[in-house]
Amino acid sequence: MAKDCAVARTLKPHPLAMPSARLPTSLSPLHTAPALALREVHLSLQSTIGSVHILRGIDLDVEVGETIGVVGPSGSGKTSLLMVIAGLEQATRGTVSAAGMDITRLSENRLAHFRREHVGIVFQNFHLIPTMTAIENVALPMELAGDRDAFSRAEAALVAVGLSHRLHHFPSQLSGGEQQRVALARAFAPEPTLLLADEPTGNLDGETGDEVINLLFDLHRRRRTTLLLITHDPALADRCERIVELKDGLIVGDRKVPGRRPGAQAAL
Amino acid sequence: MSAADWALALRLARRELRGGLRGFRVLVAAIALGVAAIAAVGSVGGSIKSALQHDGRLLLGGDVEVQLVQRPPSEGEAAWLRDVGAAHSQVAEMRAMATAPDGDDARAMVELKAVDGFYPLLGSVELQGEGAAEPLSALLQERLGVWGAIAEPALLTKLGLTTGDRIRVGTATFDIRGVIAHEPDRVASVVSFGPRLLIASDALPATGLVQPGSLVRWKTRLLLPSATTPAAFRQAATEAFPEAGWQIRSTTDAAPGVERFVDRLTLFLGFAGAATLLIGGLGVAGAVGTYLERKIPTIATLKCLGATGGLVSRAYLVQVLAISTVGIAIGLLLGALLPLLALPALSALLPVSVESDLAAGPFLQAAALGLLTALTFALWPLGRARAVPAASLFRQAAVLAPARIGAGDLAATGGCALALAALCIFTTEDRGFAAWFVAGALLTLLVLRAAALGVSALCRNLPSPRSPAFRLAIRGLVRPGAPTASVMMSLGAGLTLLVAVALIDGSIRGQIDQRLPQQVPAFFFIDIQDDQAADFDRLIASDPGVTDFRRVPSLRGRIVAIKDVPVESAVVAPESAWAIRGDRALTYAAAPPEDARITGGAWWPPDYDGPPLVSFDAGLAQGFGVGIGDRLTLNVLGRELPVQIASLREIEWRAVPFDFALILSPGTLAGAPHTHIAAVYAPAEAEDRLERAVTGRFENVTAIRTREALRAVEGLLRRIGWGARAAAVVTVVAGVLVLAGAMAADHRRRRRESVIFKVLGAGTARIASIYAIEYGLLGAVTAVVAALLGTAVAWAVVTKLMALDWVANPGLTAGTAALAIALTLAVGFAGTLHLLRQKAAPLLRND
Repeated sequence: MAKDCAVARTLKPHPLAMPSARLPTSLSPLHTAPALALREVHLSLQSTIGSVHILRGIDLDVEVGETIGVVGPSGSGKTSLLMVIAGLEQATRGTVSAAGMDITRLSENRLAHFRREHVGIVFQNFHLIPTMTAIENVALPMELAGDRDAFSRAEAALVAVGLSHRLHHFPSQLSGGEQQRVALARAFAPEPTLLLADEPTGNLDGETGDEVINLLFDLHRRRRTTLLLITHDPALADRCERIVELKDGLIVGDRKVPGRRPGAQAAL
Repeated sequence: MSAADWALALRLARRELRGGLRGFRVLVAAIALGVAAIAAVGSVGGSIKSALQHDGRLLLGGDVEVQLVQRPPSEGEAAWLRDVGAAHSQVAEMRAMATAPDGDDARAMVELKAVDGFYPLLGSVELQGEGAAEPLSALLQERLGVWGAIAEPALLTKLGLTTGDRIRVGTATFDIRGVIAHEPDRVASVVSFGPRLLIASDALPATGLVQPGSLVRWKTRLLLPSATTPAAFRQAATEAFPEAGWQIRSTTDAAPGVERFVDRLTLFLGFAGAATLLIGGLGVAGAVGTYLERKIPTIATLKCLGATGGLVSRAYLVQVLAISTVGIAIGLLLGALLPLLALPALSALLPVSVESDLAAGPFLQAAALGLLTALTFALWPLGRARAVPAASLFRQAAVLAPARIGAGDLAATGGCALALAALCIFTTEDRGFAAWFVAGALLTLLVLRAAALGVSALCRNLPSPRSPAFRLAIRGLVRPGAPTASVMMSLGAGLTLLVAVALIDGSIRGQIDQRLPQQVPAFFFIDIQDDQAADFDRLIASDPGVTDFRRVPSLRGRIVAIKDVPVESAVVAPESAWAIRGDRALTYAAAPPEDARITGGAWWPPDYDGPPLVSFDAGLAQGFGVGIGDRLTLNVLGRELPVQIASLREIEWRAVPFDFALILSPGTLAGAPHTHIAAVYAPAEAEDRLERAVTGRFENVTAIRTREALRAVEGLLRRIGWGARAAAVVTVVAGVLVLAGAMAADHRRRRRESVIFKVLGAGTARIASIYAIEYGLLGAVTAVVAALLGTAVAWAVVTKLMALDWVANPGLTAGTAALAIALTLAVGFAGTLHLLRQKAAPLLRND
């Protein structure tokens, strides 16, 4: 599958498939490894009422290019799982390997480097930087990675999500749907190996949400990026190849979605 | 950290700053105010000193001035001076009594100046009214047996005279032939005791005032040949007449008294400016903290996208520097404009006309202080921004995480604080004062911080008041993000300085207004001749108004060497330097003064007749680094006189204003020409009669009215006091700015709070009363802390540093409390009033 991905990058030139910045050797993924491997991951956080045990022993393997829907009730640990995978929270116990690297004990700065090279995140609240234009928001992760072509790649990404006419607009001048499309472009433009989406349609109306989701899966199909999607919506989860169900910090269900296979989403 | 990292930080900062200065207005204003104060004070002080230097030749009346006290130059000295100078002029100055011979016996002390035909060597004496066109020498010459004189208008007003009238000085009568409009070499001392009367040198003997030992200052001014420098002249004069005892001044110290006064005033006002900047620094910390709290989502987003903490920190540091630069630039501009307003007003008080010279030094210093203050106070919140977790995008974080500041940020903050302190100390001539200021400022901030923590702890642990309004107001003072600490520190620091300055000023003036007039003699009578002493004593003793009097022999002399080291090379503590600056009054006595407190050594036996001994001021001895048995060398009337220290006396100048730092053993000086000085104690109503009786009987004796002199000093202190208070008010303004910033930062929380109060059924009046109690309590505790701290500072300065009596001022303390409460209420309600009128629904819908 890694080979497929490499071939796809070579043979399918796409506005989003601009040349990657050269990865630091130490952070280069091992292409034979799974996209994601979690072993006995626990997460406890301190709060005013004491320690709260959020993840209670998660084991999860995700193949490169796979799409995973993570479902579960509020408080089940979905967002915490996403944060541990992105290196935003450090597991209290267990190991997390992403893009072929053990990120469990990396320093804050190394985690920042890891995110800029391998991870794209789409938030429910978009989290665009209000003082930056659309193109600046999209170029930002590539600028952080020292990519000299950051702006041309950002423009290509915005064109790909249908926002060629909104390049120099500020977030406050965009609709919710447009803002989320900018966020998608920002997540995909650096060509991450892992895309994490946390309720990406939670703040959008139904129609706009559908458009964004179609775009998300379309981009995934073209790029074969591993996608982890957190959602409350069973229909949305069903569009993934695999659904993982969380409850009280544990995986209580892990099933393949019948009829889903890599690359099939574009048809929907 | 590469150049590319900084370039990226710059790009991010530029994008972030698109929002303009919103949220930074307080930072800009606070920095601008402090920088403007420092730049303006430095620029005004520099301009005055530069004008004094520029006009030094005019003020001095030549390239050099050679001064002798109580004796004119000898024939040999005068001939040498004539030969060395390209041109020369001699003047004699003394204090004397002037009367209107045809009037109602009115009399006035004058500063008499007798000038030769070459006076003035530089510039010209300008006259007003009649006689203005005539040459000076023609006006002063003898006509039909009567010498001419010109006088300052104040003298004529006091004696009810006008041009054409006659005036009597000593035994001579003069025609008043002109009114002085400007005297080129009149260096008004900071306090002037008498108006000028100018006569010809040739007329001086006719006054009968120049007696052996009379206090006359003989000044020879010289224009030097172009090849001779003042330093070369000084060396040649000392070599030619090593024992002359003359004091040689050049253009660089033409007005040393004025220059010292300007230095002290600039020093104080400069540090008031620094205090303003320091309070502004609290505003910087508040504004940066508030700004960064608003930016938590952006910071977290940047981190999610792969930005390191260092990059985030740099991006916001660049923003703070850019915004501070705006504040500094505004401050420098104001600092350049303020002297244009201040200097014309100050010129009236100075011997020179001053124009703003805009020298770069004060502006560079102000800019550097502004920048370091901004950095010192911004680095801490920036360090906290570095620690903002990316995860806060997923979890609500209302405020910046409690400071888990890294070692690097801590070191950088400490480094900037040290650099700020070093800049304050090492750019000031009086480093001791500067070091005290820095330590005092730090201590004040620490005490205010501790007080804020104490108040918070107290509010948390107080039993809940029954009144809901009180309960909510007290809880409002301690909830997360409450402005209690920043208000107490910023407004508290400004008020502390205001209270301290006002109380110090009040104590000094209280001393002069109330206590000194009870303690000091009504008169000092000077120039009493030996053969007049007995008659003088009888006259004074026979006056029923006199409550006490004391007369001692008096001469002038200079300390020229300490332990055989010339004073120019000796190490002398700054507080003792006054004793070696010029000539000092000396006396001799067989027995110690009645109230003398001898702290070391022993007084000489009453019949002592050995080598000269001296009883010396213990404080000066410490400053000179001398003790019992050490030798001082005095120059008295052109003779060098080595004296051995036999005893040390502790002199309380404020309690016993009639004392001498140097009392010599008798015998040595008894044979030298000298006069007597007498202190006479009498009630104010007896003053006129006593003055007429003494100066009518002894025409050469000058009466110095002490209470008049005190009034002159009091008048000057009042002006200085207002200047100092104005400077302190600027610090309060800075405090109010920071207060406004802190209140504005709290605005969002208060907006939500007031809506929730309304939803729960509270009326506008109830909400207003809660806020009024909260602001009132905040103002009151700030006032109490500032009043206590300010009083402690003032008490320490007055009783320990100045060794004066403490004069309490409860009215001022109460006034400060009222001011603090009024300010917090006004500023608090200015930001809150419109919140009370807002409707709840829109906020609830959008929340």
